Amino acid sequence: MKTTVIGNYPKVAEDSYGTKVIGALNRWQKGEVNNEDLEQVFSETTASVIAEQEAAGIDIITDGQIRWEDLVTPLAKRVDGFSINGLTRFYNNNVYYRQPILERAPRWKGPALVDDFRKAKALVKRAALKAVIPGPWTFTQLIEDRHFKQPVKCMQALAEILHQEAKALAEAGAAFVQIDEPSVGATPPPAASWLKAMSTITKGLPAKTSARFYFYSPDGLFAKLQDAAVDAIGLDIVSDPKLLGRILKVRWHKALGLGCVDARNTKLETIADLRKLFDRVTKVVPADQLFVSPNCGLEFLPHDKAIAKLRLMVDAVRQWQRG
Amino acid sequence: MLLTTSVGSFPKPDYLIKARSRFRKKEIGQQELRRLEEQSTREWIARQEDLGIDILVDGEQYRGDMATYFAENLEGFAISSLVRSYGNRYYRKPVVIGPIRRKRPITIEWFKFAQGLTKKPVKGMLTGPYTIMDWSFNEHYPNRRAVALAIARVIHDEAKDLERAGATYIQIDEPALSTRTEEIDLAIEAMKICTQGLRAKTITHICYGDFAAIYPKMLKLAVDQIDLEFANRKFELLATFKKPRFTKEVGLGVVDVHSHRTESKEEVIGNIEQALKVFKPEQIYVDPDCGLKTRTVDEAVDKLRVIVEAAREVRSRLGTKHSVHSTSLSTDPERAKRVEGSALSTKARRLVNSR
Repeated sequence: MKTTVIGNYPKVAEDSYGTKVIGALNRWQKGEVNNEDLEQVFSETTASVIAEQEAAGIDIITDGQIRWEDLVTPLAKRVDGFSINGLTRFYNNNVYYRQPILERAPRWKGPALVDDFRKAKALVKRAALKAVIPGPWTFTQLIEDRHFKQPVKCMQALAEILHQEAKALAEAGAAFVQIDEPSVGATPPPAASWLKAMSTITKGLPAKTSARFYFYSPDGLFAKLQDAAVDAIGLDIVSDPKLLGRILKVRWHKALGLGCVDARNTKLETIADLRKLFDRVTKVVPADQLFVSPNCGLEFLPHDKAIAKLRLMVDAVRQWQRG
Repeated sequence: MLLTTSVGSFPKPDYLIKARSRFRKKEIGQQELRRLEEQSTREWIARQEDLGIDILVDGEQYRGDMATYFAENLEGFAISSLVRSYGNRYYRKPVVIGPIRRKRPITIEWFKFAQGLTKKPVKGMLTGPYTIMDWSFNEHYPNRRAVALAIARVIHDEAKDLERAGATYIQIDEPALSTRTEEIDLAIEAMKICTQGLRAKTITHICYGDFAAIYPKMLKLAVDQIDLEFANRKFELLATFKKPRFTKEVGLGVVDVHSHRTESKEEVIGNIEQALKVFKPEQIYVDPDCGLKTRTVDEAVDKLRVIVEAAREVRSRLGTKHSVHSTSLSTDPERAKRVEGSALSTKARRLVNSR
């Protein structure tokens, strides 16, 4: 059994690495500091976030996406064809993002996320570092498509771009590439088209891959999830508690990501409850095929609670492993 | 008909923004901050009177975040360290850590202060239980419904106190309601508790969202008026409300609060006339899309001025066909039946009669 995280991590931590990202971004937006100064703050914060996840004992970490505005903008601003529009709500959260607009056919201009990945990799001491990209349907749904005006066409075109990005990340040393697909639960895509788009992304990729579904249950596609061309399926059993029942009824031939710690509420889980959960889930998935994680990115939590939850999660896994 | 009003918040003047920051750094005391909050509230009441707005608000000069303000004044809440809202914006989010109780009235003193400055009615302004719940972490109650209903009970007590203090309009905002349309039943259940037995006219403001998914069900919200953003999506919402008929009063947002540009009078007249194809004139209250607190003082005043001028012109165009008198007593028939017979205070009656 391994522990992992989903992606983003609090950019500010009043109780440890401080709030310097806020001030740096403010000054950068006003033109008072240059790109290098801002990058310095991002690097320092990323280093703290990586060190913290490692110290907490997480097996597969991310760089915390400290430079990311949201799940899609880091790609949209470096792929040709997009402009950035006004604020839109990020799923059913009280969190907003600037919606990219696809104005013309998207074109990959070269790696968008690889620089950040390389920088982060140099900071990691012990853990594995995974790369995260938005899924093809999520990318399609989070943007405004003024070019194709056909979601399936748009999804396939973005899948081609995501493939190039994933390949570049794997070549830069990403042993794990995670594909985030919250929109599959929010607004289900046509199953066959989605499976095709997923295959496009992962084809020939020299990395382990996973698809992550959070915020909503991928109910409509639940039976097809294991047909997706990825090594692991990650599910959020917190947002929809009924999902656990369905997981327990499935014959799992893929690895399972178990999003079981609530990253959208501060209430701490108990070790006893988590251990009971692991008992149940290991009846349908072998322990070595189980990846325990929060249900979604940790940025919805204040930092003190985020780190407390990670520590508790690792504790619960270790205690369960000791039996 | 076509009475003019505002959604709630107004921008804070520079001296108050500075004072709030100095107060946080403990450079000035509560008393000094309060003095400046009162000064700024006086200014906003005077501005609204000068502009000729019909139903005033106190401008919420003493509030920060609309959910956190109530959480800070209720028992059972703690306030978290910083979480990100969007871009480079962070806020402190309420955390429910115990049973939610109201130690003492929260907004009454400010309501009395503002109402004491004008003969025109001032709206009592509350944040709704669904929104406070949705915008808080919950470490105490078993589920979201339990949190929302506990908050609904304290908001009801606060609304009753506002009514006793003379409020003839009580607005209970639910901007979060359009976030999770699958929870509309919970929002309806909670609002029913809030407005139970009130005789004042009740209003709720909901921010832009997927109204097609909750219409016409949203008409079951136990309020007389639903206030909505129309301008920022170019009045495309109107199509949703054509059928079935919109049975409540509507707060018609006719200017975009997110744009620096002041709309022209003709534009706003055009907006009202579009709405008149879907709503009856006596159904409509004219206001900005949302709270104006993100605009500058000048921008806010300019936008309000255009609203007043446009509403006046449309009123006079409609001419003698309609009476300009309206009542601020509840018109929601379902709710009127449940009114517990609590008489309005003398002051409230005087305000109603004076209009």
